[in-house]
Formats: sequence, structure tokens, C-alpha cells
Amino acid sequence: QLSTTMASPLTTHVLNTAKGVPVANIALSLHRLDHSTETWLLINAGHTNTDGRFPGLITKQEFLCGVYKLRFETARYWESMGEPSFYPYAEIVFTISDPDQKYHIPLLLSQYSYSTYRGS
Amino acid sequence: MMTSKRSPLTTHVLNTSDGVPAARVSLSLHRLDSQLKLWNMLNMGMTDEDGRCPGLISREAFLPGMYKLRFETGAYWTSLERDSFYPYAEVVFTVTDSMQNIHLPLLMSCFSYSTYMGS
Repeated sequence: QLSTTMASPLTTHVLNTAKGVPVANIALSLHRLDHSTETWLLINAGHTNTDGRFPGLITKQEFLCGVYKLRFETARYWESMGEPSFYPYAEIVFTISDPDQKYHIPLLLSQYSYSTYRGS
Repeated sequence: MMTSKRSPLTTHVLNTSDGVPAARVSLSLHRLDSQLKLWNMLNMGMTDEDGRCPGLISREAFLPGMYKLRFETGAYWTSLERDSFYPYAEVVFTVTDSMQNIHLPLLMSCFSYSTYMGS
């Protein structure tokens, strides 16, 4: 994880809605789309903490306008719990049009569902 | 698109902002070629007035593997002259048994979406 004294303008929070607990230690990665090559640039990768969060996801300097992708390794998480699941991973692709705002992108997860929203 | 027999994979796209089915959402179905690590597009279409898209795939083509349903949600909200947060929504899922029936709804607003394995 990148360390930063200022809070990341982009945050996430992963929750296990089947059990009502945060999803600790799920692998995730953040990417930005390079439009000229139509490829994804990896910005950061790591695991959520015990509260299901990932501080220091991106710095203000790196947080440019563009199309981003947050990828969550959900199947690996369910396997570590000894449970089957329907989705090998969940990728949320979103557009940042104003990098001066803060964006909070939770992922609510069960073995057979997931949801996301722009929060605060 | 096919046939008289119902597709083993169905979807239903709902606009939860307005409480209506999402009609005319373009979508495409892909299967992962696990050797080449490439997505092969199997079918594409558009939801009907009820937000459904019959005939997505035949039972014969519904092999075990990794699939992706991609919904052009950004284009849908643009057609309603609204901004949305997501350019598209892709749901990647695993088929373990060709005889299963999978119902994969997408509930969406401009700033949220959710999906689940239904019936």
C-alpha cells in the first residue's frame, strides 16, 4: 500500500452481507484506463485491512480525470472462508470527472450477489 | 438470437431510479477461452420493453466455464440525458453445470448497481 499523510481521495469499503462483517484481507487492485492504448495501468494493489478498508489507495497527485477500475478478488476470499461463490472476481469500472471531489466506492458482497454505489 | 427453447441464461435489467424496466440496454455475452485468456463474444443484443433479453444462449452452447455479461449502462443513462458514474457494468460469473438455469438481474441507478444469482 502507498503510505500517505493525506487521505486518499478515493476510498473503498468491502462488506460481507451474508455475515454482517467487514471483508478483511481481500486482494484488490486499482487501475486507470490509458485511452490512447486502451490498456489498464495498475496504480495500486494490496489487501483490505481488518475493517475491510484500504487506506492510501491513491494520492491526490495521481488522481487524474479518467476511467478507473477497482478489481476485487472475491472468489479467493470465499475460498479462504471454505465457501463456493458465483463470481470469480468483481470489477467496478467508473468515471472520475472531477478529481477535486472525494469518491467512496463500497462493495457489498455475498457468495451469490454484489452491489456497489457512489457513497461518502 | 434463437429459438423456441428458453435460454439457460436470462437477465433482467431494472432502472431503480425510476422504478421501471431498463429498455433498450445494449448487452453482450462472452465466454473466456481459458487457454488463450481471451474473451470470445457469443451474442449481443438489447433488452426489450420489459428489460429482458430472450435467447441469450442455447443449452448446447452453455458449456461450463467463465462468462461475462456486459451491459452498456453508460449509453443507457446518456439516452435518458443523465450523467452516470459507470461507463458500463460487466458481471463475470462461473458456470459449473451446463444443465443449470442462471438468472442474472442487474438493478441500476445512475450511481449504483447490484446483481445477484436469481431464479
